[in-house]
Amino acid sequence: MKFRVFRYTQGDDAPHYDVFETCGVPGMSVLAALTTIQEQQDPGLSFRSSCRGAVCGACAMLINKVPRLACRSQVTGLTDKKNLVHLSPYPALEVTTLWDPATEVLVEPLPHLPLLKDLVVDMTAFFDFLQSVDPVFHPREPLPGKEFHMEPDAVRKLERFTNCVLCGACFGACPVNSRNPKYPGPAALATLYRFHIDPREHDPGSRILAADTESGWWACEFHTNCTRVCPKGVPPAFAIGRARNELKQKRPGPPTRDLGDDGPSDISR
Amino acid sequence: MTVQPDAPPSTAVIPVIHRHELIIIGGGLAGLRAAYEAVSSGINVAVISKVHPLRSHSVAAQGGINAALGNADTTTHDSWEAHAFDTVKGSDYLADQDAVATMCREAPAAVVELEHMGTVFSRDDAGHIAQRPFGGAGYPRTCYAADRTGHNLLHTLYQQVTVKGVTFYEEYFVTSLVTAGGACAGCTALCIQDGTIVGFLAKATLLATGGFGRIYERSTNALINTGDGLHLALEAAAPLKDMEFVQFHPTSLYGTNILITEGARGEGAVLLNKNGERFMKNYAPGAMELAPRDVVARAIETEIREGRGFPGGFVHLDLTSLGEPLINDRLPGIRQIAIDFAGIDPVTTPVPVQPAQHYSMGGIDVDVSGRTPLPGLFAAGECACVSVHGANRLGGNSLLDTLVFGKITAETIIGDLPDLDPGGASVIEKAVVEEGNRIISLFHRGSGDNMYQIRDTLKKTMMDHFGVYRDGPSMDAGLIEILSLRDRCQQAGVPLMQTPYNLPLVHFLEITGMVRIAETVARCAIARNESRGSHARKDYPLRDDDHFLHHSLLVPDGDGTLKVRTSPVSLGMFPVKERVY
Ligand SMILES: Cc1cc2nc3c(=O)[nH]c(=O)nc-3n(C[C@H](O)[C@H](O)[C@H](O)COP(=O)(O)OP(=O)(O)OC[C@H]3O[C@@H](n4cnc5c(N)ncnc54)[C@H](O)[C@@H]3O)c2cc1C
Ligand code: SF4
Ligand code: FES
Repeated sequence: MKFRVFRYTQGDDAPHYDVFETCGVPGMSVLAALTTIQEQQDPGLSFRSSCRGAVCGACAMLINKVPRLACRSQVTGLTDKKNLVHLSPYPALEVTTLWDPATEVLVEPLPHLPLLKDLVVDMTAFFDFLQSVDPVFHPREPLPGKEFHMEPDAVRKLERFTNCVLCGACFGACPVNSRNPKYPGPAALATLYRFHIDPREHDPGSRILAADTESGWWACEFHTNCTRVCPKGVPPAFAIGRARNELKQKRPGPPTRDLGDDGPSDISR
Repeated sequence: MTVQPDAPPSTAVIPVIHRHELIIIGGGLAGLRAAYEAVSSGINVAVISKVHPLRSHSVAAQGGINAALGNADTTTHDSWEAHAFDTVKGSDYLADQDAVATMCREAPAAVVELEHMGTVFSRDDAGHIAQRPFGGAGYPRTCYAADRTGHNLLHTLYQQVTVKGVTFYEEYFVTSLVTAGGACAGCTALCIQDGTIVGFLAKATLLATGGFGRIYERSTNALINTGDGLHLALEAAAPLKDMEFVQFHPTSLYGTNILITEGARGEGAVLLNKNGERFMKNYAPGAMELAPRDVVARAIETEIREGRGFPGGFVHLDLTSLGEPLINDRLPGIRQIAIDFAGIDPVTTPVPVQPAQHYSMGGIDVDVSGRTPLPGLFAAGECACVSVHGANRLGGNSLLDTLVFGKITAETIIGDLPDLDPGGASVIEKAVVEEGNRIISLFHRGSGDNMYQIRDTLKKTMMDHFGVYRDGPSMDAGLIEILSLRDRCQQAGVPLMQTPYNLPLVHFLEITGMVRIAETVARCAIARNESRGSHARKDYPLRDDDHFLHHSLLVPDGDGTLKVRTSPVSLGMFPVKERVY
């Protein structure tokens, strides 16, 4: 199997691609292939990994032009019909290098984030956006002596969002993030929604106001790339739609608080 | 300082020194729980981690966390004393009973506190935290968040800690502890992102670096679990304890060794050898697949060794009789893992499994307050050995250990801080320069020996000689191999002279530590002529309380040689008995 891998070191004039060949065993993941290449062919190849089991979120990258977890992507299955993911297009998904999808796996860093080295990107902006929605639980006071009472059903609803591993795949897949530097992105908004629907919150209704801005909930254009690439089944687009509906019911019309002028003006979609 | 391979070794740059009252090395559950406690009391805290804290191994914990909440009781009542008894019995009576009592008494508060911070636990129909039965426990005591308990706990604590103003040094690899005047004064670290070496000056240093599973060829642990913290402690002359006790989980997925939870067998999955025989009937005819972890692991290992496993060394875990609805309802994560990582759907096809290293009971020697014998140095979580797990840990007790002792250790540090004085920064500056020069010398070694071959040989040696079964002659041979690998590390160079995200450099630092940790496991295992808990010796198949009811204490001598000493087990609450289930 051949791997066409994005290479970049700070100071380089431009990134380039290297092609590596490694023999695959059935079930081998892209992460395992990268590890073999790094250990046996090019020690200088850099990428992130930790759990190798699709739970830590460290290894998100663009594989065959789809943001995925490298450890969860089996090399042999990538071209299977059931594994093809169709995404709403944006520039980073355009193929800019010679690449033969039938014989090569194309491995590139997550889009929309500054390059550090090869497949490693600077996630600071992603985590800063997360912090901007105050991603922390504010419980009802006074605290009960034991745990809060919670219906199993409420837990099931919340779980869809708490399952997020903050890998950034959705951020890299989002056409709005590709051009709006103020848009917090799908993961941050899904996290905010998670607190909004937590029945233990002291003022759950008010939480969604934190992103009631042109560049917040209202910047989403419902491409739903986020939901399609999420390795954990989190549906950010669903959360955004729900939040907007609730806000509309409270206050018909566009957002009253506007943080930025350079966000997209079309919020009617 | 900047590590420029082509620069002359002692470039006169002023090293960057970060100053904090407390530095916590490790951003897993133990580290973050301690950080939360310390920052809440107004201490200036930094967390240093070689990966983003959310990528720490704690995130992977599946099954749950033990606390005698008594939510699932109907007629009888669970209690912290019952929890303590199960823990001590599970430990094969090697756990310190005072420490176990503390952990079990604090457990309900620790779990409820995380719930109050926002953790979403699974609920029973009455709306309470749901509790499931776990191996070796007399009551359904394990609180869980589906099969993502570690994920939910770690993300919650991370959220809490970030808003409280802890400084994070992410992707900093700690390379040495610095001591001054017989106390720990901080550490040096490689900033992975830019390749510089920096120093940390602190009154207190807390190691929360997790386990060392990756010294074994097969391990359920994250790739980053290389035991660095134990190596750091040892180099600073802090003793390690009970290193021979390494837990093997019976069912890990063949290939990647990702964990397949005990819950699968709990739901009725059976184990089959290559002849289609349900072999557990020959080992535990009563409990069958639900015998304790160590028993099932030994049974599978025996089948494989005696040629009744499948080529490659695995047996089948057959879930096909459970049916798709039940699998989807209760084991969705397991189905996904098998599909994603082995290309196998358990609904129709048996899953290939084999035993794999899972947990390190031993670790840095600490007392019940989290202090190591080295003033200013503390340890908590899987890297530490209090000991609450003794010779065998019960499932669900490790997450509990991280929360309870993360908190207690921080409280100890808060109390000790006024008396701790790391001295001036000059000792750290000197250490930074020395570390920088050491690393430059690695670059100048040339191609030398191949570190990845050394690592692979080490992993195989540990698997073959210090695995599920052990015996004297085999372990002696294993130790000789480990020592030769130690020598080979002196010859191995870092094949790359490039600074940012230099994976070979990180790997080299990990591998030299792994070889040293392997040696400590070997020396403690060889010294214990009995079988207890996870330490199963073919030449000494029985437990020997007369001679071995004590901890192994590994103390480095001045010249680097390792001596195995002993220290007493704290008893008193429960009489030592035979361990039968
Ligand atoms: C698959 C699996 C499932 C498990 N399930 C359960 C369960 O259900 N219940 C249970 O009780 N236990 C379970 N365990 C055990 C439990 O998860 C761990 O023991 C526990 O999470 C360890 O937490 P910790 O905070 O001590 O270390 P970790 O979470 O491993 O964190 C270690 C930290 O140290 C940092 N670090 C290490 N070396 C360095 C260095 N040189 N420089 C800088 N930073 C460094 C790392 O970056 C990381 O942040 C499971 C274990 C495994 C393998
Ligand atoms: S929502 Fe999904 S894709 Fe986005 S960060 Fe979370 S886990 Fe990753
Ligand atoms: S390595 Fe953890 S998600 Fe891939």
